[in-house]
Amino acid sequence: MIDQEIISKINKVFEESFEIEKERLKPEAHIFTDLGLDSLDIVDLVVALQNSFGVKIRNEEKVRDIRTLQDIYQFIASLKNDENKKSS
Amino acid sequence: MLVRVKLYVLNLYFYTLFFLASALVIPVLTLFVALSRLFLSQRDTMKRFRRAISWYGTVITSLPYPFIRLRYEDAGQSAPGEPYIFVCNHRSASDAFLMCVLPHEVVQIVNVWPFKIPVLGLYARFSGYLNIRMMSHEQFIQQAMKLLSEKVCIIFFPEGTRSAKRTMGSFHGAAFRLALESKASVVPLCISGNEHIPPKGSLLLRPGTIRVRRLQAIAWEEYKDLTAFAFKNRVWHLIDRELAIMENEA
Repeated sequence: MIDQEIISKINKVFEESFEIEKERLKPEAHIFTDLGLDSLDIVDLVVALQNSFGVKIRNEEKVRDIRTLQDIYQFIASLKNDENKKSS
Repeated sequence: MLVRVKLYVLNLYFYTLFFLASALVIPVLTLFVALSRLFLSQRDTMKRFRRAISWYGTVITSLPYPFIRLRYEDAGQSAPGEPYIFVCNHRSASDAFLMCVLPHEVVQIVNVWPFKIPVLGLYARFSGYLNIRMMSHEQFIQQAMKLLSEKVCIIFFPEGTRSAKRTMGSFHGAAFRLALESKASVVPLCISGNEHIPPKGSLLLRPGTIRVRRLQAIAWEEYKDLTAFAFKNRVWHLIDRELAIMENEA
């Protein structure tokens, strides 16, 4: 189960940095075909997510596997989990 | 039936003049540029070369007059010496020729096929047109930044391919990433009336009026806080809205 706060923050990144309407932000939305991002937009997305969550996103392989919004929710949730484990 | 015959006559008239004018104008302009090289620097010769290509475009777009008219509307009032990034909608193969209306030294960003056109493809290559499909993003940015630093304007058709209908396709981000890196002003350019001159997949020109409307330049200060994605969508909406206005006026 993904924290609603994570979902809201990620959606806010898409609304503010990419100006994508709220109604289009469905978990199953494909970020390339449905939302219209291209491979270079991922760089901007990573920067915006880093700023929003205060995390460093380094795992390129995992980032490359991202296809849908749900993948991003899961990716950030696992990143936050890893951070929490490290700090506890 | 009569309409069809008239159409074929118009096309026979245009293409005959097109080949004759090309056979005459291209060697004359080539000679002019080659002679210039004897007295001018490489940079000044390139300026003349690009100017010569623009003159050739002016000749070609004047040939079908009065059956096909070309109108340039400058709603921009932009400074003449600034290196702009032009962003245009793309409906027809004639778009590349229409760029002759711009009073600037320009280079177009093209796909693979324009480089394959006999003679014209060679001239496009020599004049520094960039084939975005044949280079990495880094190479492209580097070469485009060099052109902008020499005050050469760059023209993009960010749909990537001609839209078969009046509806614009979505934009690729390269023009907008270049703008964010170079801080150059972006000028939206709306082309209307050319969707049948010629239509996609045909060489048959229909009579009509083509309008090229240049909008106000968007300065770096206005878009610097946007992502390339958000910026491209804003420009897409600007062009889309203006095209709707132009087509309601027509």
